[in-house]
Amino acid sequence: MKASRREFAKWVTATGIALSMSRLASANEPTFAARETLPGRQRWNPAAAGVGRIDGVAKVTGAKLYASDFRAADLPGWPAHTAHAMLIRTANATHLYEGIDLARLSGALKPSLVVTAADLTRIGARVPKFYSGDLFCPVGKTPLYLGQPVALLIYESFDDFDQARLALRNETLLKFGAETGPVVERGYGAFRFTRVAGASPDAPDVYSPVKDGWVSPGFFQDGGGPVWARLPVPTGAAYAKTATYGEQIRAELEADNPTLLVLDREFETQSIDPMFLEPECGLAWYDADRKNLELVLGVQSPYDAATSVATLLGSARANFKPAHINAHFAYIGGGFGGRDHTPFPLYVALAAMFFPGRPVRLAHDRYQQFQAGIKRHAFKMRTRMGIDRATGKISAFAADHVLDGGGLANFSASVAAVSANAAIGIYDVPKVDVTTVALHSRAVTAGSMRGYGTLQTMTALEVLIDEAASALAIDPIEFRRRNALKTGGRTMAGNTYDVVVRTPEILDRLEKHAIWRQRAEEKALGQRAGRIVGTGVACVTKDYGSGADSAMSSVEIDPKGRISIHCDHVEMGNGIGTALANRVAAHLGAVADEVAVAEVDRFSALGLVTSGDPYTIDQATQNLLQRDPRWVPTISVPTSSSIGAHVGTHSASEAARVIFRFGLWPAALELWGIASTDPRAAKWEAAHWEQGRLLMSDLRPLPLSEIATKAHARKGVTAAMAHSFSRWSWAKATFAIGEQEWTAEIDALAVRKGAGKFVRLDRANVQYPPTVFNRFGTSYTSLCGALVRVEIEHATGALRIARAYSVLECGRALTPEIVLGQAQGGFAMGVGYALLESLPLYEDGPGNGQWNLGQYLIARGSDLPLQGLEIEVLPPLPNDPPKGMAEVVMIPIVPALLNAIFDATGRRFRALPVTQQMLKGALA
Amino acid sequence: MTTVSVKINGRAYGPVKVRDELTMNDFLRERLGLTGTKFGCGAGQCLSCAVIIDDPDGTSHTSPTCIVPAASFNGKSIRTVEGHATNGELTALQKSFIEHFAFQCGYCTAGFLNEGQVLLERLTKTPVTRADLEKTIADAFDGHLCRCTGYIKYHEAVRDVILADPGRYLT
Repeated sequence: MKASRREFAKWVTATGIALSMSRLASANEPTFAARETLPGRQRWNPAAAGVGRIDGVAKVTGAKLYASDFRAADLPGWPAHTAHAMLIRTANATHLYEGIDLARLSGALKPSLVVTAADLTRIGARVPKFYSGDLFCPVGKTPLYLGQPVALLIYESFDDFDQARLALRNETLLKFGAETGPVVERGYGAFRFTRVAGASPDAPDVYSPVKDGWVSPGFFQDGGGPVWARLPVPTGAAYAKTATYGEQIRAELEADNPTLLVLDREFETQSIDPMFLEPECGLAWYDADRKNLELVLGVQSPYDAATSVATLLGSARANFKPAHINAHFAYIGGGFGGRDHTPFPLYVALAAMFFPGRPVRLAHDRYQQFQAGIKRHAFKMRTRMGIDRATGKISAFAADHVLDGGGLANFSASVAAVSANAAIGIYDVPKVDVTTVALHSRAVTAGSMRGYGTLQTMTALEVLIDEAASALAIDPIEFRRRNALKTGGRTMAGNTYDVVVRTPEILDRLEKHAIWRQRAEEKALGQRAGRIVGTGVACVTKDYGSGADSAMSSVEIDPKGRISIHCDHVEMGNGIGTALANRVAAHLGAVADEVAVAEVDRFSALGLVTSGDPYTIDQATQNLLQRDPRWVPTISVPTSSSIGAHVGTHSASEAARVIFRFGLWPAALELWGIASTDPRAAKWEAAHWEQGRLLMSDLRPLPLSEIATKAHARKGVTAAMAHSFSRWSWAKATFAIGEQEWTAEIDALAVRKGAGKFVRLDRANVQYPPTVFNRFGTSYTSLCGALVRVEIEHATGALRIARAYSVLECGRALTPEIVLGQAQGGFAMGVGYALLESLPLYEDGPGNGQWNLGQYLIARGSDLPLQGLEIEVLPPLPNDPPKGMAEVVMIPIVPALLNAIFDATGRRFRALPVTQQMLKGALA
Repeated sequence: MTTVSVKINGRAYGPVKVRDELTMNDFLRERLGLTGTKFGCGAGQCLSCAVIIDDPDGTSHTSPTCIVPAASFNGKSIRTVEGHATNGELTALQKSFIEHFAFQCGYCTAGFLNEGQVLLERLTKTPVTRADLEKTIADAFDGHLCRCTGYIKYHEAVRDVILADPGRYLT
């Protein structure tokens, strides 16, 4: 069948099929942007009364919202018919690939078009650097990894596509020749982080990454530079000097010293899948006449997706080089990091470019998502930790981490660095030496996933801490308290945190909780009842932010006081839309009627330009570049690293402050009859909103709508658009707004007056965080502690989580219910990681295309203590900003479970997951 | 090819010929554009694709659609997430899901909504005791997978609808 919408109607009529079988979508389709702007002015806005999310109604009514919901017929202006594409991937990465046997696809199974590596070479496609590696395995090469694509097949009708995919599920068309073994590639990144503290806490470090720079071993350098330039690796670094200090630390740990308890342990973590419920999907249409490429995608990194497609096609032959790329980004059905910098959009774009004029949909099914989706890194770790027996204080720590990065580099180097910097968790250790290397393998590519690196190394650490406390006969919480890093103390990179370190409060809460206080009693009760009971504790800290984070937002208010917000950050369940609305409401007095997220092309009024790499730029270059008032270190970043609340809402908050100060406040003064010379006119910070009215001392309360009408009438600022940048500290700049100067934590600003257009304001006195901050591991962090009580059945090894308690701090919670939900979800994901989830890395793993749910287990409701999980969020400190918490809440659950299992069974497991079968074996 | 007639959210569709292998999920999503019913695994394991089947005897149950052929729905009456609200007025369960912040990404929501609605309707005919309520909800939802929420708020949302009208749902 090859049919437009009208032809489809004819076809169904001719075959006796009712016309009502045509798509339910009508001719009056709302635009994509209208569908994605929520809740929309015509719909109930539950968030306005604080009883739900901006996207609540859309999600309970099945509105078209996700990329997988859209077909060409849903999009006004597109041809009505959708073609369907599928990627053929290899399950063999040890033999020479010799081609695809297309002759076996006949009849309906025969694709309309086949795209291979040769076609990409022919058109001059250029793989973006981040995704380096063949997008399709060429004939004559051994596939780089299991699941590497070899061909893209396109079918004009869904029925043909559907039959083909069913036929190909258990049959391979691929031909292979001689065995070569897996491809051997250079590692993705290797670093050594070594710190030797000064003689006293106040003394400067003898040696540290912040003081002396990050170093990599030379054999991973390529032409003197790093393999992947995103990380701040200086060329020609003094690796030998670092190694010298490191070896001294290791020698101390290996010395025969009876005053020191030294634990030398290995720990392994497994590969897992993010298992977001919506498999990756995209829709694209290339209009060759207009040379316009339209894309509908669902990713965490929209700016990267759009620019990567532009790079891919930027040097292509004329017929394959669009003049315009119009990328639409949809709500996503879960992300957890796995949709951040995925190569999937490149294939969506290629499908459209090779099939011009016809919209093409590329969608993974779950088998394909397992086969190709980004995975969490498997780690092998060896740790040596020395503790002074007399004081119970950790004196030295050395660790070696080896990460399996899978087939493509992706974020492996970053994961290696982040995991190493997390290796000492909440603790203050004066001597630390950590090596880390991320290796290529034939496994499915590993990359970003919730809490990357930190989850692995802090799990190993917190299990080791438990063992150390036990060996020294010190209470585990007391041992943690004794060694915890305090506010003002230095991280293993050698910098201090920019936030208050609330470890003592977290530990106090854990210690006082009934689960902890009654642990011995419950264990004894269990024994008497024939149950094996154990209680475990863990406490972790997790950075939020990546060290080069940004946000773009605009906020607009109309004459009726209705608020619209646009933002480049992505809604993946994290509640960014609702958080934006709530944060702006604090400044403008009402929850927005319209919130649109994942927009990267709406902020052209700012005229932003960028160059250089924000992670590796040197100070002199930054000083030079920042003279251009339009230059920013990065334009738009992925929604990742728990930055939604802290960064994602920041620009909108600053834009709202500008509207209030230069639009609503002058309007209110006029309504109150207060002259600009009146001292009260300068007290705008003393005013506050209550139930949609602006209150100021004994003046008449002013409804927002009345102020907005006046602001428009007097052509005050009624909309603002801002960009902000953080490198472990916000950039600041000054802007002239009318006759006044405005200094704020933003680096670009445009304003609209009355009903006019946005006008860019050139900044002055911009202060970007110094580039040396790139040497920090992190300076923003939040904490979470957990207690878990387990009951294990002796005969079967079945484990039940009887009770659990999680206590966290996240500064000012913008939407407390969403914070609670994230904590509950993090608990579930932690349980899955500790007890259930595991993917073999190679031929038996997901790269073989045979994995699905059922074989891969994630936590179900029956695996969790639905009535026995208590979450506590510490109240914010005065002036606390919103802090990231989506990752930290998952991490302590895993070691707390392992420590509880030890308490119950006496067996210290040092590899994940700990399955029922393993427990049964341990108890046998 | 099999001829299928099916009632969806009170509206009759068909007769239409479909391939025997065409799943109900693809029938809904690709043929009818009813994408509120999601595709999650294609293996009947996550139930994000579940719809309500209203049986002739007045009872209802949910069924996955991703592994069930459209042909097997011939003659059946089903409800999907798009059919719960009436003239824009949300059901008590839909409102409760929103008020409890029950979902996050929302991709599993249609399946939970359908399962929860079936449970509510079942309880009106076969009430349970308050003591059995938590287990009843847990048993109903246990086949449904959610990766975001940890399930607790889904449970609380349906429980609160029941407790708000105990005479209707509890013995």
